[in-house]
Formats: sequence, structure tokens, C-alpha cells
Amino acid sequence: MLHLIGLGLSDPTDVTVKGLEIIKKCKRVYLEAYTSILMAASTESLEEFYGCKVLLADRELVESGSEEILEGADKDCDVAFLVVGDPFGATTHTDLVLRAREKNIEVNIVHNASVMNAVGCTGLQLYNFGQTVSMVFFTETWRPDSFYDKIKENRRIGLHTLVLLDIKVKEQTLQNLLRGNDIYEPPRFMSIEQAAEQLIEVQENRKEKNYEADTPCIAVSRLGSPRQVIRAGTLKEMAEYESGEPLHSLIILGHRIHDLESDYFMQWAFNKDTLKKSLEDDQKYTYE
Amino acid sequence: MVSALTVDHIRTLMGRKNSIRNISVVAHVDHGKSTLTDSLVQRAGIISAAKAGDARFMDTRKDEQERGITIKSTAISLYAPMEEEDVKEIKQPVDGTEFLINLIDSPGHVDFSSEVTAALRVTDGALVVVDTIDGVCVQTETVLRQALTERIKPIVVINKVDRAILELQIDKEEVYQTFARHVESVNVVISTYTDESIGDVQVYPNKGTVAFASAIQGWAFTIRQFANRYSKKFGVDRNKMMDRLWGDHFFNPKTKKWSKSATDADGKPLERAFNTFILDPIFRIYSSVTNGRKEELFELLPKLGVELKGDERDLVDKPLLKTVMRKFLPAADALLEMIVLHLPSPATAQAYRAETLYEGPADDEAFTAIKNCDSDAGLMLYVSKMVPTSDKGRFYAFGRVFSGTVKSGQKVRIQGPNYVPGKKDDLFIKNIQRTVLMMGRSTEAIDDCPAGNIIGLVGVDQFLVKSGTLTTIESAHNMKVMKFSVSPVVQVAVDVKNAADLPKLVEGLKRLSKSDPLVQTTISPSGEHIVACTGELHLEICLKDLGEDHAGIPIKVSPPVVSYRETCTAASSQVALAKSPNKHNRIYLTAEPMDEELALAIEDGKINAGDDFKARARILADEYGWDVTDARKIWCFGPDGTGPNLVVDQTKAVQYLHEIKDHIVSSFQEASGNGPMLGEQMRAIRFNLQDVTLHPDAIHRGIGQVGPAMRRATFAAMLLAEPALMEPVFSVEIACHESGIGGIYSVLNRKRGQVISEIQRPGTPQFFIKAYLPVNESFGFTTELRQATGGQAFPQMVFDHWQTMPGDPLDPTSKPGVLVVEGRKRRGMKENAPTWEEFYDRL
Repeated sequence: MLHLIGLGLSDPTDVTVKGLEIIKKCKRVYLEAYTSILMAASTESLEEFYGCKVLLADRELVESGSEEILEGADKDCDVAFLVVGDPFGATTHTDLVLRAREKNIEVNIVHNASVMNAVGCTGLQLYNFGQTVSMVFFTETWRPDSFYDKIKENRRIGLHTLVLLDIKVKEQTLQNLLRGNDIYEPPRFMSIEQAAEQLIEVQENRKEKNYEADTPCIAVSRLGSPRQVIRAGTLKEMAEYESGEPLHSLIILGHRIHDLESDYFMQWAFNKDTLKKSLEDDQKYTYE
Repeated sequence: MVSALTVDHIRTLMGRKNSIRNISVVAHVDHGKSTLTDSLVQRAGIISAAKAGDARFMDTRKDEQERGITIKSTAISLYAPMEEEDVKEIKQPVDGTEFLINLIDSPGHVDFSSEVTAALRVTDGALVVVDTIDGVCVQTETVLRQALTERIKPIVVINKVDRAILELQIDKEEVYQTFARHVESVNVVISTYTDESIGDVQVYPNKGTVAFASAIQGWAFTIRQFANRYSKKFGVDRNKMMDRLWGDHFFNPKTKKWSKSATDADGKPLERAFNTFILDPIFRIYSSVTNGRKEELFELLPKLGVELKGDERDLVDKPLLKTVMRKFLPAADALLEMIVLHLPSPATAQAYRAETLYEGPADDEAFTAIKNCDSDAGLMLYVSKMVPTSDKGRFYAFGRVFSGTVKSGQKVRIQGPNYVPGKKDDLFIKNIQRTVLMMGRSTEAIDDCPAGNIIGLVGVDQFLVKSGTLTTIESAHNMKVMKFSVSPVVQVAVDVKNAADLPKLVEGLKRLSKSDPLVQTTISPSGEHIVACTGELHLEICLKDLGEDHAGIPIKVSPPVVSYRETCTAASSQVALAKSPNKHNRIYLTAEPMDEELALAIEDGKINAGDDFKARARILADEYGWDVTDARKIWCFGPDGTGPNLVVDQTKAVQYLHEIKDHIVSSFQEASGNGPMLGEQMRAIRFNLQDVTLHPDAIHRGIGQVGPAMRRATFAAMLLAEPALMEPVFSVEIACHESGIGGIYSVLNRKRGQVISEIQRPGTPQFFIKAYLPVNESFGFTTELRQATGGQAFPQMVFDHWQTMPGDPLDPTSKPGVLVVEGRKRRGMKENAPTWEEFYDRL
């Protein structure tokens, strides 16, 4: 049987009791290590906590080597595939499940917290979130801006947008990738400042009615860890904010803010007056 | 004789842009360029008069002097003071009577024609040398064409006239007819390149743009010089006299009248004026000297204004002939006069060359500066090649200042061929250490160099691979990259004999690549060091330089192999589907062959990735039968962004498509540069992007996802389209006595050669054979040919085209299949070529 087990957000101990019991009885345990990282854990600390060997599954193994992961799982061998957050949260591993089904392997899911629900800690109501978007590292020639339209759709009906920031844990250059060289670039994590800068750049290029540099936002850093920090302010303030160690997420607020929401996040404002003003201005913002 | 010039004097002349002539000397191999150049160099006082004729001053390398051929082009500055009266005839602005001629002698062997390209780029005029006996040959045509596309004005020297007189023993009229035929052949080539901006560049003996010479004996003349002599005597205007001394003009000595008919009133034949007034004195000198009739000669000489000094009168045979002819018709006088009078100054030439030289818009700062040849404007300098210095591993960057003034210590932008304005790739901002004048074997330091001159630079070699643009104008685009008429199709793998020498080899290869405009040094996927050259001779020279000079270590060389191209011969039998590694993105692609004409047009740069897409679409529709909608949706060329393979977007309303275009384009460069069968470049394939399914979030369709999918799709689509191999084919020209023809045919037959034409030179037993020969069969061809013809036949081979080989390359028993298996083994790839299934993903 293949078990997809959510690990939660930060510590080895964030795993559920149910998940832990399954891990302990599995023959092989893989940790998906490229779409996200467990901030406060290493492979070693996980191994110690679980009391078993943990195999790192990089992009190549998950995307091209599913045979290896699934081997024997159709018989009486249990294989655990550990995913940071929830198995069907920000990153979905539907492809692995489909392949398992092709081989008549039973699949069991153990859920856990994901950034998609933990952002509730900002005081924003999860009911009021629209489509989630990702912000990739812009390169000189590749500056995709399709997220802009999604934010626009969200904003038009007053919903918040959760912006997930790019992480490159084990990436290859195109040349190395196509030539099959095992050379990897150093890991990179996008900061709040960079995401805000890219958002402002795209707004300046597109100049459509959407968000502006003084649109209110909330930055969530190291969510679920002891060093979790939440700050609220305008997008421009975010571009100048030193957000520190990864991981980060950014929320662009919708204009239908409930009083209870603003009361809650106001405590984290960079500057309460400017934030209040920008919230008021944003509510007057009209969308055609 | 003029004494040697001081650098200060040269520097003064360099500042007068109307008084400069930059010229290349070009010709077929062994037509006497270097010898001719020597007689000019003699004039600048650098080597003594006695040695001109056999010094080969311009051949600076030991092997050049030994082999008697030029391998590298060499530059020299010459000084030409002119008569006031002559200067008046110059049809462009002048600045005094002193002229500075920057001359580049370039190789004639086809294998080195990239040197010619580099020389032409920095000059405005070309002195085309044609052998009286051989006439216009394949390389004469090639270089002439190259010159004309660069908008370089040609003048012609018909050389080795002495051989026509002494060896062939033909009469005057035959000599005239031979000259006329060669002039005509040159003009036939020129007339196919009419270009309004440069005007009529055909050559005419009666206008003084053709000279006749014997470089080896140090003499030459133009019709203008003889017209000068005779116009006084006959009291006729010189220009009128020039017209009479060429073509169908006859002089009746009895009536002292000119006529256009070859017979007099009584029907008796008249002698052509050219023969009477020009050839006759020359013939008389030759016959009196060779027959030992000295008295006759001494009687004749005063009439011709020639005076022999004491011991010169004691000379006999060739030395006497040489002395007399040199005094009568000094080669340098005729050539310098022709160069100064008829070739454009940089100021004149750059006005019409600017648009062919500059990549940027025709109204920006850099363009205007080039067009005006303005030495006070910002610097625009093109480095056309690297010349090794005596300091091992360092090079002079050799080039031309097109605008501004380059100075020692100046800070400049060094823009390589891949530089794009506004970006930082391939750009360095560095100081020029020193500027030097290139003087044949030596160099002279100079403080600065203004627009219109040729210069060597110290200290920029490590920032440029082979060529590039140097500028002080921040907005400047690049100068156009040079197009070479030959391709490096012959390659070998090199390795060290002692493993410890490997770092030296790597460094040596880097130096080799820098020192030659065309050699390519690469590392194969299996780690071999590959050297690619244009032909056997080029390869031989490059390997010799590598072993003895650049690396200085013993090296092992593999047998030569040929580069191939991978192509397809039908449309894909089904749509190729490839998924990204995360399976969230799918690419649907088909391949089909492209017309050979279009592939050639892309390779020649006629259809260009940088063209305006609407204009390009129009041409594709009108001339190549493309659908206009398709033609407007060409996403990219590949490999290297310019190659002869295209990706056409035929998708309909795919969301986010523009966000993956860049990934598709970069992945295609890689895929089309390393085909699935042999890892060779693809050629003449058009890929149609049929459809794409994408993940809605950008993070899941990054280059790491779309790149591999595009590569798989490209390979699958191509392998589904009846793939084939293309092999390079040389065009071979062989000159031979008729007795050798049988031998030539049998060798050609054995080597899969195909004869295209066989022409006999009128009135001689000399034959010209043109044939196609697969490059793969060309190794050892020269040797076999010599054996089969008793050493008579000498072939000139130059890459001509790519030819599709019959047979399925995926079938290991077919001819191309054998090549694929061998090639893959050599490169350390899996022995069997992959089939389309390996790159195809099922739904």
C-alpha cells in the first residue's frame, strides 16, 4: 500500500499520531524534498524521531522514477511518501496516485495542516480567499505575469489572494537538465521583498485596474515555526521589508475586509495610520 | 625610391581620412599576390629593391615561406606621394598629394578563405590578382563575390604576363585576347552584383582600373600610364588616348590615322593600337634580351626613357630583363596609381558601407559616426581577427576604426558577437593597453589611431573570442558579424600523449580558436576535444600550430571525421506528444522537411531571425510558398537562434502560451543543436507546434518542466518523419593536362565523385574539371589524384552543399545506419540510435 502522509508545517513533531504510526510500520519511507522544506527539521532529525531510515526523493525521482518508489507496494509492502504540509495542499501529487492506481496499488492519505489553511492565523477568514497564485523568480527573459489576471479576478469580487513564493531546492540549468549532467544550482528561496517588487513591476507594466503600490498586504514568514512573524502593510512597504529566513508567503487583501479581520491583523502593522488609510482607500476602489 | 616612413609621418597621414586607402589583395592560390605585394612593400622602403620578387615579405610564418603559400593575412602600411596632376583626376575629395595605403595580403587557398573575409571587412577596396595563364578560377570568383557583398570596390591586376610571352610564346593579338577574356570573366561575376549605392564597379582597362603585371620581374603598367606617354607625342587628350589604347582601335602608320576597322582602305590588316603601342615595346625588350641581341636593346632603351647604369649593362638574360623592365615600368608606380586614383577613401566608402556594416538602426549615434567616418565622434571599432604576438598565448586584436579615435589607455566597451544592446551578456568594459601599427613581421607603437585606419590593440584579447565591436558609445549596437563562405566540416579528436599535459592542451585549444577566425574547438559529450576545420590543409596547419606552438606538447590525433546533419524527409506520420516531468504540461508537435532553397537562404542570412516578422512573412509567402499566417508565427530559428530549423506556432487560443515561449525556444536551441541520432545539428526541418496543455500555475510550468518536454517532442516528431542523414559535399576544381584526365576520372569514380563539367582552355591542352565529392571521401584525395596523374593535377576543394544520404539511418545495415552506429560508438553514446517511441509519451 502507498501512504501519502502530510508532515505539517515545521517540526518533526508536527506529524499526526496516525501518520507516525503508519511511518513506523512502512518498509520504505520517502521524503519529498523539492516542492517545500520542513523548516525546523533535517533528514537526520526525522530519522531519529521516526526511528527508521528516510529516503530523500528529489524532483527526478518523483517525476521520472516513480517505478522505484512504487516497487513492491502492490504486494504486502507498505511505502510511505511524506509530503510537507498536506498531500493535497499547495503541491498536489495526483500523478503519483494515478500511477499507483494503474498498478492496482491501494493508496491511503493522511492529512495535515497546509499553508492553505494555516494562513488563518493572520485573522483573515479562509472563506474570503480567492484563487491561490505562485510567484516565480523572474529571469531576464522570462517574466510570466499570468498571476496578475487571477489576482484581478479575486480583487474584483473582494477576495484575498494567497501568493506562494518560489523555492528552488535542487534546480538544474536547462543545459545541464537536457544533457543529463548531475549539476545542481544552489538552493534559492524568494523573499517577501522580491515578491513585492515583482508584483509592483507587473502592475507598472500592465497598468490595469487591479492592485497598486499602496494596496494592503500581509506577509507571513516561517509559518507554523517558533520564529513565525506576521506583518501587515502596503505592497510598497513590503518591498522594503527585510523578511529574513525562508519560507514566506504574501497575502494581497481583498477590499471586503470584515472589521474583525482588520482588528486582528492591525497589531502587526508596520504603521497603523498608513495601513488604516490604505484599507479605507482600497474599499473606495471601484472595479468596472 | 622613397625612404622608410617615420611613425610620426604615418600618424599625420592617418589623420587625413581622404588620403587613406584600405585595400585587400585577393586571388586564387598561387596567382602571385604575395609577390605583387612585395613589390609594393619595396616602394615603402622596408626591404631593398634587390630582394623584391622573391622575398615574400608578407609571409611572416616559417611554413608560409617554405610552402610558398600564404596562410595568414598580413597587414602593412605604405606611403604613396602622387603628382599634383594625377591627384586632380581623383573623383572624390582629396587632401594633399601624399597618400597612406593600408594593405592586407590574404591567402588564396580556399581552406583559408576566412582570412580573406576578415581582411575584406576592414578594407574598402580589393586588388584582385588574376593569373594570365590560369585566368579567373574558383577562388577568384569566391573572393570577388565576398568583396562585392561587403561593398568593396575591386580593381584587377592581370599577373604573370611574362609567362605568356616567354613560356607560351603567343603573339601579341593572342595576348590581347587573353587579357580581354579575363577582364570579361571578372565583369561577368561583378555584373551579378549590381548595387546602386556603390555604383558601377565593373573594371575597364581603358579607364585605368586594370593593370597588367609580372610581379616576379617587378613590373606592371596601366593603360593610363602609356596614354600619358603617347598623349604628348600625338597631342591628343589623355582620356581620349586611353580609350584608343584598348578595344577595337587601330592605327595606320602610313596614313597616321586612327580607325575602328581592323583593315585599311586597301583591305590590308592593321595592328590593334594596344598591340602597337603597348605590347610591341615590351615584346621587343623580351626578344632582344632572350636572343642575346644587346645592341638592339641598348638602341631601344633611350627611346623608352630607360637608362642603365655602368654594371647594369653587363647583365644578361633574366637579371637584365628584370632590371630593364623594372626601370621601364616599375610595378609599384602602376599599382599605387591605380589604388590611389580608383579606390575609395574610408570617408567615401563608409558613407555607403555603413548600412552593411552596422546592426543597429540607420539613424542612431553610432551609425551616423560610421557613415561620416568621424574621428571626433564616439569610437566604433571592429576587431576582425586575432594575431599572435611574440609573447606566447597573447594576441593583438586586429581591426579597423570606423569612427572616433582609439587611444592607448582608453576605456572602451568590448562587445562580443552575442552582445545585445541594453543587456550585459558578452560585454566587458576595459582599458586598451596599447595601440600598435601592424607592419608585416613587426609592429610599431603609436599613441592613437583615428577613424578610417587599421590598427592592432594590446590588452583586449582575453575579452574577445575571435571578433567583436569596441565602442565608447553606450547605445551602440554591434558591427555586423562576418559571414564566412566556408564551413568547418572536417574534424578530428585530439588528445595528449602524456596525461599530465592535459591542461596545456586545453589552453592550447583556446589559443588556437582565437588565432583562427574559423576553426572550431569543442568538447564532445563523451569528453573528446574536437577540432573542426574547412579542409585537409587547414586541418594540417591548425594541428601543427596546436602541437608546436599553442600547446607546445606532443598530441595524438584521431583519423579525420566529417560532421553530418540530421534531417527528415517526410511529414511526421503522427503527432508527437511529450509530457513534462511533472506530467501537468503536454506538447503536441509535428515535423516536416523544409525546402532546400529556404534552408540555404537561412544559412546565407537572407532570411534572418532578426528580420521584421511581417516583411519576412511576405518573403516566405511570395518566394517559398508559405502560408502567411504560419510565416508570421515563426517562434524561433535553431540552433544558435539562427540555424536552418524553424518552430512555427499553430496552436489556437492556448492560455499562458506566451509564458512558455521562452522555454520552448531555449530548449529547441539545445535539441536542434544535438539531434537524436548522432548528436549532430539538425538541418532543414520545420516543426509545427500543434497544441499545448499547461498547468494553470506558472511555478508548475517552469523551464525545468517545459524544457525537457519540448526536447522529447522535438526528437519524437523528427524521428516520426522519416529521418535521414545529410553529408557535406565539396565542390572540386581540378586543372590538368589532357593526358591526366583518365586518371582524374578513375579517382573520382572510386571516391563517389560526380563530374559536373569539363572545359578545355581554348588553344591549350589544359583542362578544367569541376566535380562534387563527398567530404568523407576527400581524405587522401589530393595524394591519390597526384599519383593517378603523374603529379599534374592539383585540386581545390571547397564546401559546397549538404546532400541527403539515401537509406534509413535507424537501420544499422544501411550506409547511413553504419555511420550512425560508428559515430555513436566514437562519441560514447548508446550504440543503437533511439526510435521515436523513446521520446513519445502516451496519453
